[in-house]
Amino acid sequence: MRAVWQLSLQLWRQMAVLVVLAGALWLCGLGLLVWSTHTDASLTGTGLGLVAFGGWFWHIGQGQMLRGLCRPEIHLLPRFRARLAGAGALDLTLWVALPAMVAALCGMPHVVMGAAGLLLITAVGLASGTGKRVGLFIWAGFIAVGWKPHLAARVVDIAMHSPWTPALLALAAVLVFRLALRPLLRIEDIEPDTSPLESTGLGRMQSPAMQGRPARGAIGKRIQGWFDGMAQRAMERALAAYRRHPGTRQRMTLIRSLLLPHDNPEAIALRLVLVAAIVGAYFFAILHRPHYNAAVVGAYAVLLSLTRFPQLGRGMLRMRPNLADLYLTLAPESRSEYQRTLVHALLLLVPVTVLSALAYTALGIVLVHATEPGRMLLTAAIVGASASLVALAVHLIGPEGSFGRGLVNIAVVLGAMASYWGGYLLLGLLGVELGGALLALVAISFGLGVWFAAQREYQRRTPCFDPPPA
Amino acid sequence: MSLFDLSPAAHPPAHPPASSPTVVAVKGLEKSFAKREVLRGLDWNVPAGRVIGLLGRNGAGKTTLLRCLLGLSPIDGGEIALFGEPMTEPGGERMHRIGFVPQTFDLFPWMKVRAYLDFTAAFYARWNRSLADRLLGEWQLDPKQKIGQLSQGQRQKLAIVRAIAPEPDLLVLDEPVASLDPQARRAFMAELLELMRGPDKTVIFSTHITADLERAEADIALLRDGRIQFTRPLAELRARLRRVVFTRESGWPQAPVVAGLLKAGIKGPRAELLVEDPMPESLEALATREGATVQIETPTLEDLFVELA
Repeated sequence: MRAVWQLSLQLWRQMAVLVVLAGALWLCGLGLLVWSTHTDASLTGTGLGLVAFGGWFWHIGQGQMLRGLCRPEIHLLPRFRARLAGAGALDLTLWVALPAMVAALCGMPHVVMGAAGLLLITAVGLASGTGKRVGLFIWAGFIAVGWKPHLAARVVDIAMHSPWTPALLALAAVLVFRLALRPLLRIEDIEPDTSPLESTGLGRMQSPAMQGRPARGAIGKRIQGWFDGMAQRAMERALAAYRRHPGTRQRMTLIRSLLLPHDNPEAIALRLVLVAAIVGAYFFAILHRPHYNAAVVGAYAVLLSLTRFPQLGRGMLRMRPNLADLYLTLAPESRSEYQRTLVHALLLLVPVTVLSALAYTALGIVLVHATEPGRMLLTAAIVGASASLVALAVHLIGPEGSFGRGLVNIAVVLGAMASYWGGYLLLGLLGVELGGALLALVAISFGLGVWFAAQREYQRRTPCFDPPPA
Repeated sequence: MSLFDLSPAAHPPAHPPASSPTVVAVKGLEKSFAKREVLRGLDWNVPAGRVIGLLGRNGAGKTTLLRCLLGLSPIDGGEIALFGEPMTEPGGERMHRIGFVPQTFDLFPWMKVRAYLDFTAAFYARWNRSLADRLLGEWQLDPKQKIGQLSQGQRQKLAIVRAIAPEPDLLVLDEPVASLDPQARRAFMAELLELMRGPDKTVIFSTHITADLERAEADIALLRDGRIQFTRPLAELRARLRRVVFTRESGWPQAPVVAGLLKAGIKGPRAELLVEDPMPESLEALATREGATVQIETPTLEDLFVELA
């Protein structure tokens, strides 16, 4: 039982923020289910929905955790599969059986179907977390609902009255579980490690637990190959330039090509094209609306461009032991000079982020036929610049633990999105010129203030080359 | 005069001559992790032109000491000087006079071998490209292969190539041969000795493979209890330390006490003693008195390590 408990604790140990958030959704969901018996019976649906939403996120995390955990050596543990099954049973009790039981006690109709639906959502979340494409089916469902809402409503109506639906849902769940878990329990060679600071955009949202085990299929590997080729060429160009003119600028370009292998013009362009393709398909499929809220699009663009920074924070920690080699190679005059070199190298991420935010916003403008593109672009540029300065600052000097970093990430992302909404409104109220100037004054001043303070603190600190805490 | 008397007056260095400059000078070095003291007022001087084998048990602090020497780990107290300059700011061109091979070196897994070496070489004023290319060939490292695809031993080889290519004056290696096969280990030791033929070249390496230290005819530095207990040429250790075994059927209630005794243990009828500069006549006399037989053996370096560490 201790082994089962330890396996169940892994998610908390690796993704504490996710556990807290999903746990809060689970509690709220169950609370609503119980509350509905005293007040409004319609709250049962909302309650079960919250549990489903939390369960989906929870199992995405579980999938990521399992992908990191299920390395060949783990199978040497006595009765590992049996204990994993035990942990799985405990997990399903928590996220499927218990909510279904509470829903049944509260008198909710279609409880069996609800339980089967929860089971399917659990399975799809797990599959998404393990990197299986079957996880995309949930998006296919959303797309179908968005595209043909009447047909979807009709299908749901029929399904609700069919006695076969729960069995079909459960069967689908079992199939998805099987598809997600079988490869994990197969012993395979581990793929070569990638750069901790890579920025292909393919695995940016992957958890630290998956380090060294990127979930990539044939297409993903091919794209990774393109990025690596570009990184290689960028380094060769930087080397050639440095050999021709060994100046400060050329030296910095060379260091950047090492630290940020995928932040050269070619790779940035490829990343933008890839993200544009994915976002374009997403918008056309489910969010294509003539009067879509522009502020949402811009805020989402800023969010997307800021996803680079959490990975930077993790990557810099992972890079630490390797950076000892860079330290000896650069032979800086002082520790603070070395820290300054790193800071200057990483500062490249600010214009790259602003450029990305602008590109994504422009894409959104085209997709939603926004009426005020100038206002959106200006807001995105100002907020993107400020937010990227703040994000870079907090990831340089912020907490090392995954929980602290997770909280910081959420605060930065939510703060940036709120700033975008506030800025967009400000530009609407005061006009683009005055509002833009005021927003720039406040946001950029704040960003620069945080950045300079963090930069000073980072340079004051002694470089650390020890591996990050486990 | 004991090997373990660390006062400079007690032991004028036999190798090299007194005129050799000191490459590493450590005084009162202290280093703790959380509340665990690893280095406790460590003093150590390494003269130029020597190969030093740093020995110590697991967790004795060898890696910590080497990292502190190079400024890769902050120290809690004491002073470190490299090439005569204090390491209060461990930077500047003198870092290019240092080669370092860490215990586990992940290098940059996404980079190709050639790109990694080219990148590193670009920063060095002195980089022996032909040496690097020769070693890549001899050690069968494919320059076009990604570092992440190399085995642990191959990565170690690459780290050694990277450390040797700038022809450093001080080479610091933290268990450099642990992951190497015997051929590669011998080849590496041969390269090391070749490198050492240059004037004032110094090598410090920690290892558990005592055969390599014997092959390199290294000076042995023993790290124990947070301090360097002694730094002595291997030949001197061999010449002065002996294992003395007294055998008596009735066993030993306690080990016999002899002059120069460093360590004693009892195994059944045998009393095994590590003795510095033993006097065979007095040992024979003692054996006769105790009704025992005596054997005087020359211990291997591994025996010495087991006894002293």
